[in-house]
Amino acid sequence: MSGDRGRDRLPAAAEKSFVKFHYIAWTLQSGGDFILVLESRYKKVMETANLQLKGMGCAACAASIEGAIQGVRGVRECNVNFAMSQATVKYNPRETNLETIGQAVTEAGYSAFPLQEMDEVEEDVQKKAQQAEQKELTRKVIWGGTIGVVLVVGSLPAMTGLHLPFIPTWMHNAWVQLLLSIPVMVWCGKGFFVGAWKAGKRRTADMNTLVALGTGAAYLYSLFATFFPSLFLDRGLQPEVYYEPAVVIITLILLGRLLENRAKGQTSEAIRKLMGLQAKTARVIRDGESVEIPIQEVVVGDIVVVRPGEKIPVDGEVIAGTSQVDESMVTGEAIPVTKKPGDEAIGGTINKTGSFQLRAERVGKDTVLAQIVKLVREAQGSKAPIQQLADRITAWFVPAVMAIAITTFIIWFNVTGNFTLATIATVSVLIIACPCALGLATPTAIMVGTGKGAENGILIKGADSLELAHKIQAIVLDKTGTITEGKPSVTNYVTVKGTADSNEIKLLSLAAAVEQNSEHPLAAAIVQYARSQGVTGPLAEVGEFAAIPGMGVQGIVGDRLVQIGTQRWMDDLSIDTKILASTGEDWEAQAKTTAWIAVDKEIAGLVGIADALKPSSTEAVRALKRMKLEVVMLTGDNRQTAEAIGREVGITRIIAQVRPDQKAAEIKALQAEGKIVAMVGDGINDAPALAQADVGIAIGTGTDVAIAASDITLISGDLRSIVTAIQLSHATMKNIRQNLFFAYIYNVCGIPIAAGILYPFFGWLLNPVIAGAAMAFSSVSVVTNALRLRKFKPQIYV
Amino acid sequence: MLSKPKIISYSLGLILGLALAPMSVAESPEETAKPSNNFTRIEQPLPLKVGVTLGGLALIGCELWWFLFGKTKAKKAKADSGIQEIDITVDGGYEPDIILVEAGQALRVNFFRKDPSSCLETVIFPDFHKAVDLQLERTTSVEVTPEKPGKYIFHCGMNMFRGVVEVKGDRAEH
Repeated sequence: MSGDRGRDRLPAAAEKSFVKFHYIAWTLQSGGDFILVLESRYKKVMETANLQLKGMGCAACAASIEGAIQGVRGVRECNVNFAMSQATVKYNPRETNLETIGQAVTEAGYSAFPLQEMDEVEEDVQKKAQQAEQKELTRKVIWGGTIGVVLVVGSLPAMTGLHLPFIPTWMHNAWVQLLLSIPVMVWCGKGFFVGAWKAGKRRTADMNTLVALGTGAAYLYSLFATFFPSLFLDRGLQPEVYYEPAVVIITLILLGRLLENRAKGQTSEAIRKLMGLQAKTARVIRDGESVEIPIQEVVVGDIVVVRPGEKIPVDGEVIAGTSQVDESMVTGEAIPVTKKPGDEAIGGTINKTGSFQLRAERVGKDTVLAQIVKLVREAQGSKAPIQQLADRITAWFVPAVMAIAITTFIIWFNVTGNFTLATIATVSVLIIACPCALGLATPTAIMVGTGKGAENGILIKGADSLELAHKIQAIVLDKTGTITEGKPSVTNYVTVKGTADSNEIKLLSLAAAVEQNSEHPLAAAIVQYARSQGVTGPLAEVGEFAAIPGMGVQGIVGDRLVQIGTQRWMDDLSIDTKILASTGEDWEAQAKTTAWIAVDKEIAGLVGIADALKPSSTEAVRALKRMKLEVVMLTGDNRQTAEAIGREVGITRIIAQVRPDQKAAEIKALQAEGKIVAMVGDGINDAPALAQADVGIAIGTGTDVAIAASDITLISGDLRSIVTAIQLSHATMKNIRQNLFFAYIYNVCGIPIAAGILYPFFGWLLNPVIAGAAMAFSSVSVVTNALRLRKFKPQIYV
Repeated sequence: MLSKPKIISYSLGLILGLALAPMSVAESPEETAKPSNNFTRIEQPLPLKVGVTLGGLALIGCELWWFLFGKTKAKKAKADSGIQEIDITVDGGYEPDIILVEAGQALRVNFFRKDPSSCLETVIFPDFHKAVDLQLERTTSVEVTPEKPGKYIFHCGMNMFRGVVEVKGDRAEH
C-alpha cells in the first residue's frame, strides 16, 4: 500500500491536528484493515516560537496581530502579549514557517522578529550605524585636518615671530582664517555645541560642554580680534586671532573619538566571536530526508546530521556515529574531544573528522552558547567596586572643571590684567580636562577581561567577582568531582563466604538490586560493577527501599534485608564488621571509599570504590600554592580517604567527614580566620558553600552552565582553569589600576599645568592645541591599554 | 527654576564675559608705542578687577547650582498587565531621569535615543547587570525587576549622564 493511500484514510481528527504520515506507524491486518499507531512524538510536530512584535500601540493592535497570525495556514495557536510586545505561536513547521508568519504580521501593518533572530538583526543594524558614524567621523577629521593645516601654516609667522617668505601673506589674514574656520566650527564641531546645549538643558554637563565652551571661548575672542582689531592695537596689543587652535582642537578630539570608537569596538570582540560561533543553518532529518533549515526552526527532538568540518548547530546527544570535536572555543580546552553515541555535543563547536547524528536537546536561547553569551553580556553590564571613586568623581567633574576654569580667568586677570593670557589659560583648562578617561578606565578593562575569560572557558558573573578573585587568600576545593573525576568505580570486592557456588555474584546481584534505586554516584558504581561481573537480566524487585543520607541504603529483596553503607552505619546497626575490618582499613588507606554489604543484619561483603584523580589536579594545586594561596580540601568522605588523596595532590589542610549541609559552616569558619575564601565545587551539591564563600567557583560538567550560586563558572572540569581565572583577575585589576592611575594623574597634573601654574616659574603656558591633543589621546590611551589584556595568556608553570 | 533661554546666558556667560573684557582693556591707562607681546602685564582699574571677580564667582555659583544641585521632575512608571512601563527620551541625557516604580514588579524602560552623541550609545543598569546599546532614532527596551525598595542608578557608558529608578515597597508591604 502506498503512503498516499495510507494518508487518504487518516481520520479527520488527525488531519486537523497536523499529524503527518511519517509520524504514524501502521500495520496491515488480515482482511485489508490497518491499524494506525500515533507516536507519542506527536507533540513535536508542533513548534512553538516567540516573536518580538513592533508597532503595537494599543490592545486592539494585539487582537489584530493575533487574527493575522491565526489566518496563516499551519498556525494552530497564537497568543499576543501586549505588555511584553511578544507573540507565542504554535505552528506546524511542515506547513508554514516563521518567515510566512512574519510576513502576515508585516501585511497587517506591524513587524515581528523571532526573538533570537532579532538579536542578529539588531546586531546588523547597529553595526551598520556604527560604520556610518565612523565614516562620517573620518570625513570630518579629514576636512578639519586639511583646514587645520592651512590655518596652522598661515599662523606660523605670528606664532614663531619669524619671517617666513614662502608663506603667502593672505594665509595669515584674520578674515581668511575666519572664513576657513567656519565650516569646521559649523559642520565638524556641530556635535559638540548641540550636545552641550542639550545636556545643559537637562542640567547635565559632559565632555561636549567642555569642548564647546573651550573652543567657543577661543573662537569668540578671535571674532572680536577680527572685527575690532583697534580695541587691541589701541591698548598696545597685537589683535591675534585663535581660529587655528579652535579648529585643530575640534579635529584632534574628533580624531581621538574615531580612534577610541575603533578601539572600543575591539573590546567587545570576544562576545562577537562567541556569537559568530552560532551556525546559521542545520541539516535535520525531516520526512526521512536530510534537509537544511534555518537554525531558528530546529526543534527539540530533531535529528541533526553533522558532517566533518561543520559547526554543530545545537546542543544534543550523539545518537549515531563517532567523531573528534574541537570544543576549545567554548571550554577553552585545546585538545579535540571524542564524541560517541551517548555523549553530549555542544552547539557552536566544530566537528573535525567523522560524521554523526545528534538528537537536539537544547535550542535557541537555551543552548550552552546562548547562555555563555548572556552571562558574558551580564558581566560586562556590571560594575566593579574599584570604580566607585571614579564614579563619584565623574558625577561632579565637569561642573568642577568649569569652576576651575572661571577661577583661572579671575586669577590671571587680576594678577596680570592681561585678558589674552587669562583667556588662553581658561581655554586650556576647559580643553585638557578629560572625564572620559575616568569613565572608560574600568568598564573597558572589565569588558576585555570577561571576554578573555569566556575565551578560556571561564564565565565570570560580575565585575565584582572578577575584582574579588585577585584578593583570594584561601581556596577550598571540594574533593569529589573537583579534584577527582567524580565518577567512582569499584576497584575491590570481597565476600565473607568466598566465591563458592557463585556466592559473590549472588551477593553482588542483591546489592545491585538495592543500589539501582539510589541516585548516589557510589550506587551507580556498584550497579555498573555488577553488570560488568556478569549480573545480567532485570534486577530483583526491592521492597521498603530507604536511603539514609550520609549512611547508606537498605531494602528487602525477596525475604532478605539488604543494607549497604558506611562502617559507621554498620556500627550504629550493631552489625559486626570485624571479619573484614583490616581489609577495609587497607583500602581506605589507599584513598578508597568502602561500602559494607550486610544481609539480614550480618556482614556479607565489602566493596572498595575509588574515584580517580583528574590528571591536572596535582599540577593545579602546585600552581595555586606557588601563588601563595592556602589550599584546603573539603569532603564528606572519611579522613583516611581524604588524606590519601591530599597526599597525592599535595594538600595538607583537609576538612573531612563534612555533610553537604555543613560545608557552608566550614567556609564560614575559614572566613572567621580573616581570610578571603574561594570555594570550588560542582555547583549543585555545593551551592550553599559556593554562596557562602567570598568567591564561589563552580566547575561545570562541560554543558551545565546554568549555575546560579557561583561567581565564576569553569566550563571545563580542569582545575587549572582556577589558576587561569585568578591570574586573569590579577591581570584585569592591574590593568584597571593602570588606567585609573593614568586618568587621575592626567587630570590632576594636566589641569593645573593648563591653568598656568608653571608660568610664574618657567614662563611656560600650555598651548590650547597641545591641551586638545592631550585630551583626545588620553581616552584613546586608556582604551588601548585595556586592549592589551587581549594578549593575556594563562601561565600554569609560573 | 530657570527657563531654557536663561540657561544659555548662564552657560555661555563665561564666554560673553571674556568676549566683553577686551573693551575694558581698551580703557586701561597703559600706553605703549607699538604692539607688544600678548602676555605682558597690563594694569587694570580696581573696579574692573572687582567686577570680573564678582561676576566670575557669581557664574561659578550659578553653574554649580544648575548642574549639581538642581532637581528634575520624577515620573511614575505606568503599571499594566503586571508590568510597569516607562518611556525615556535619550537626548542630552535622560528625560525623565527619575522614575518611580513599585518593588517586586517587572519594569520595562523604553529608551528612545534621539541624541547621536557617542556618550549616550550605551545605557548601563549596574545593579541589574545590564548594559544595552541604544540605537539612534529607535526604541530599545530594557527589562529589570527591582525586588527591593531603594534607588537604582542607570547611566551612560562613561557615567556622565545618569538617571535613577526609585523603588518603593509594594502594596503588600504596607
